[in-house]
Amino acid sequence: MTPETQSRIHPAALTYAEDEKTGKLSRREFLARTTALGLTSAAAYGLIGLDAPAHAGGHAQQGGTMRMQMEVRALKDIRATDWTQMAFVYAGWLEYLVEYNSDGSFNPMLLESWDVNDDATVYTLKLRQGVKWNNGDDFTADDVARVITDWCDKSAEGNSMAGRFAVLIDPATEKAIDGAIQVVDTHTVQLNLPASDITLIAGMADYPAAIYHSGFDGENPLNDQVGTGPYLSESHEVGVKSVLVRNEGHDWWGYAAGKGGFLDRIEYIDYGTDPSAWVAAAAADEIDMIYETVGDFVEVFNGIGWEESAVASAATIVIRPNQVAEVNGMQPYANKKVRQAIAMACNNAVCLELGYANQGEVARNQHVGPMHPAWADVPALPYDPAKALEMITEEGMADFEFEITSIDDDWRRNTTDAVAAQLRDAGFNVKRTIIPGSTFWNDWTKYPFSSTNWNHRPLDTQILGLAYRSGEAWNEAAFANAEFDALLAEANSIADADARREVMAKLQGIMTDEGVTLQPYWRTVYRHAKPGFTGWDMHIAYLPQIYKIGVAT
Amino acid sequence: MGLFILRRLGVMILTALCLTFIVFWLTNLYPNLEKLAKTQGNFRMSDEAVTSYLTNRGYTQSLPVKYGQWLGVLPGWEIEGSDGELRRRCEEGQNYCGVLQGYWGYSTVFKEDVSKIIATRLALTGKLMFWVLMVMVPGALIIGILAGMREGSKLDRSLSTFSIMTTATPEYVSGVVLIAVFATPLFGMQYFKGTATSAMDDANFQNFFLPVITIALYGMGYIARMTRASMTEVMTAQYIRTARLKGVKFRTIVIKHALRNALIAPFTVIMLQIPWLLNGVVIVETLFNYKGFGWTLVQAASNNDIELLLGVSVVSVFVVLLTQLISDIGYVFLNPRIRIS
Repeated sequence: MTPETQSRIHPAALTYAEDEKTGKLSRREFLARTTALGLTSAAAYGLIGLDAPAHAGGHAQQGGTMRMQMEVRALKDIRATDWTQMAFVYAGWLEYLVEYNSDGSFNPMLLESWDVNDDATVYTLKLRQGVKWNNGDDFTADDVARVITDWCDKSAEGNSMAGRFAVLIDPATEKAIDGAIQVVDTHTVQLNLPASDITLIAGMADYPAAIYHSGFDGENPLNDQVGTGPYLSESHEVGVKSVLVRNEGHDWWGYAAGKGGFLDRIEYIDYGTDPSAWVAAAAADEIDMIYETVGDFVEVFNGIGWEESAVASAATIVIRPNQVAEVNGMQPYANKKVRQAIAMACNNAVCLELGYANQGEVARNQHVGPMHPAWADVPALPYDPAKALEMITEEGMADFEFEITSIDDDWRRNTTDAVAAQLRDAGFNVKRTIIPGSTFWNDWTKYPFSSTNWNHRPLDTQILGLAYRSGEAWNEAAFANAEFDALLAEANSIADADARREVMAKLQGIMTDEGVTLQPYWRTVYRHAKPGFTGWDMHIAYLPQIYKIGVAT
Repeated sequence: MGLFILRRLGVMILTALCLTFIVFWLTNLYPNLEKLAKTQGNFRMSDEAVTSYLTNRGYTQSLPVKYGQWLGVLPGWEIEGSDGELRRRCEEGQNYCGVLQGYWGYSTVFKEDVSKIIATRLALTGKLMFWVLMVMVPGALIIGILAGMREGSKLDRSLSTFSIMTTATPEYVSGVVLIAVFATPLFGMQYFKGTATSAMDDANFQNFFLPVITIALYGMGYIARMTRASMTEVMTAQYIRTARLKGVKFRTIVIKHALRNALIAPFTVIMLQIPWLLNGVVIVETLFNYKGFGWTLVQAASNNDIELLLGVSVVSVFVVLLTQLISDIGYVFLNPRIRIS
């Protein structure tokens, strides 16, 4: 919140403020857009004449212990983190450049501010002053440049940050483009993009984007816990328990900045995957909060007097046919008519009700929703099972056996069952296959027709780029459409969400028309805690903001 | 006797070798390796990344070579990976590192030495088993003896019904029923905790009773039935009748004359029951979230953690054969007619 950052307000931000006041924009969208343009959330709230919400930490006391039921997994290379639960552990000592909040805003953490030029090709990152690593080293622009370079190493196994920073990667060397990451001075890094990309700030806020020290052990981050954060890991027993304790010797920058870091001790205890065991643990007073409450257990935890925190997110499930998958020597889902018929035979509201107990919002099979800044109001295909049957009969698929695969769990299985049941009702010949969680992911992109859960992403174009661009590793629908790719590239260069919405409308239109996937609903995510804690609210994207949690005074 | 024990040890090692080779072969099948790479790397990894992960870490060598390295009869691999990093199986300066050198390998799930994991987890299961045996053995013997004293009496019928019921109920049923009755407010009898996670550090009656009784009940019925059968047989023997005719008190007959002979059969059964209990431990530990040996086995198997699975199977072989050895030796002391040479 230095004068320089206040003085330069991105021109689009002022337009957004007008839109918010006249009701054209929701507050969440307003915050997401303006803070991604480099405004602090206080400044953003200021533009619309409001005070930024006070930190819940205002009512927290210093000290105390919090015990959370959470799956304790082995840590791996930070960039390859594939479970947010892992991030909850290393978030004790590793921090992020930017943090994304449930209200849609982006707040600087290790950055002090950032600037994006008007066509989103030059990012100027200004680092926070006075941040130190817990081994005494200064935190400088070299650290940031080094980590971003690592993110751009596409050859590193499992490095999912490469997907988020794909624009900076030279396809020939699979490493960062020369000169793309430029250290300007000790506290400034400049990213020079060969093409526009509006998603980099959102990418920096995602859970594998923690900033680690140069002496970092890629195989096991616990070995050398050099970081900038307020805690250290005391013990980490996979599947059992992981404990973070305050790093007493380290003067965390957040104390002075009033960020929090209230708890002295954070314990993550693993009670397995059966939520009834969590209830038993809560009843026995062995835990204080739940990582995530699912399904019927939302009611159960409300019943035992725990506090609920709910966030409507863009986390979702897709039940997609794979367009190149071969079944009995032919590619049943390469036919657009068949895919459309599947979409028309399913009522998404039924999937939400049977699959997720109505704990969410109905979606339109486009994988872009009203929580995204540039969502366009594009209608879905009509629900018409009779027409759907007609269509597959015309295509000679009336006798074809549609095998729908899902993982063996609660909501994903139930939602897939709801799809299967509706297809059967429409007259399709359906076979359901359920695969245990331990083996399901081996071939998750290759099943001919299966369901996958997808996490929330802040911006509308992000998920389309990860999951539907031609040739992407996570493109499980095997969707390849040149027009779609071109439009997506265009959308990715438009920082202004209103301008982007026109392109998004076309993209969403293609998603609908091509019947790429079923994406029946958006999930509301829940967390429960024993009364007496603050700052523990469920995060829209499960980000590990543990420094906010405290014992209430 | 010494020769007998030696021969038994030989059998034990041979069995362990065969079993570990089978486990090794199964866990090294390519789909399993692929699963391993994906759980370790990133579960949405591409096929090329899987191959380079496996090659860089020595998983793509031939099976006998890998098995030899695990045993410690072949030098450990040293591979310069496609990412330029040099990886070794053994520590710097060592060429052979396997079971023979006392190195049991490294668990890919738990990121710890296998020997350390097995030691901790086995100790926890040992604690559970100790209390199970403390409840089960006296309980089963008392029930069996009481039932077998007077065959066909009301006491016999009711105790037999009880033991048949407990044996016929597997742990995953009785455990769930016990939790529902005693650990939820449903029946107004919420005396115990439905999870034993806290019992790992600090076991008390409240958090440990349910898992112990769940395993104990299952074994108890079986041993009680055996004891009863053996007891009724002894009670009809000639020398007992003689004693009764001579006017010896019933109590004295049971305790002094019948008991020792009646215990020979149950002793073997108890010893054989211990490996069986390891089976039950897998279910009960998972059910009650008690992170012991059984739970480790489940984790290792579901993540295809090769070296941990091998370690677990070696330990299992030793437990099974060791209890058999004890039962054979114990026989000699209980029954003077049997000699081991």
